[in-house]
Amino acid sequence: MPIQFILILAAAVMIIRSFFKLKNREIRIGEFITWLGIWLAVIVVVIYPDIASFLAIKLGVTRGADLVIYVALVLIFYLFFRFLVRLEKIEKDITKIVSHVTLNDETKKK
Amino acid sequence: MVIIPALNEGRKIGEVVREVAALGYDAAVIDDGSKDDTAAVAKEAGALVLSHVINRGQGAALRTGIGYARRHNYEFAVFFDADGQMSAAEIEKLIDVLKSGAQVALGSRFLGTTEGMPRIKWLTLKLGLIFTRLTTGLKLTDVHNGFQAWRLSALKATNLVQDRQAYASELLQEISRCRLVFQEVPVTIKYTRYSKSKGQSVFNAFNILWDLIIKR
Repeated sequence: MPIQFILILAAAVMIIRSFFKLKNREIRIGEFITWLGIWLAVIVVVIYPDIASFLAIKLGVTRGADLVIYVALVLIFYLFFRFLVRLEKIEKDITKIVSHVTLNDETKKK
Repeated sequence: MVIIPALNEGRKIGEVVREVAALGYDAAVIDDGSKDDTAAVAKEAGALVLSHVINRGQGAALRTGIGYARRHNYEFAVFFDADGQMSAAEIEKLIDVLKSGAQVALGSRFLGTTEGMPRIKWLTLKLGLIFTRLTTGLKLTDVHNGFQAWRLSALKATNLVQDRQAYASELLQEISRCRLVFQEVPVTIKYTRYSKSKGQSVFNAFNILWDLIIKR
């Protein structure tokens, strides 16, 4: 089906992009493996949608598609939380640097 | 040392600094990335000026001032607003409270006097009192009053991380966490058209709540 082809192509593109980011040291090996795992899982579920249905029944969810959405939502909220934490760290570090530069500039003037 | 965080207060800062300096206090203006002539005006008025290259927030500016006070071994730090709402003559009252043994002197507009306070501000502050009582257990008559005096030794015990307006709640949380000895002092807060235009929106209370939840 066309949607399967599109999703597999999109996942493949993301895997290749992740690989090049790893090669350029923009991401670390742990991050690459995590994303590789996620996109491979996407490809497997797209090719064998019955796997999602099988897992859904085991977990008490009616449809495979519903299970995929629930898992995706949890993953998104988790990643968003991690992103927020990292952002706050960056904000704190910026303030530390600004304050440090300000105080050192004043010391140098004297 | 009187620490005065300032952002785009070129119109008022000169008057504020002169008022503070005339009473014999060292005034330190922390210019938090102003786009106007705040730094130049403050310097001309006689303040020590410390300038942030970019805007980081009132909490961050206060911490820079505290850092300077600690480096230069000041005993007391007074927090004072740059918008002319506070009266420099009342600084002495706060310092007297520290000299009598307290570690923190908190200005209270509800024990003192307010002039021209908007009703919505009154309501927001009263709600803030309830929030502070629930989160810190402190029985106060005012919250988010920037007119405070601290012993530097008490500040050393605190862990301040909030950059923006949530710093005011954080200071009270640290008083509670570190079990600091504090006393409220009646002060006068004047709300002028100018200061109301510079003040924070009441909706900022939601941003403060978010910062307190996320950054802790």
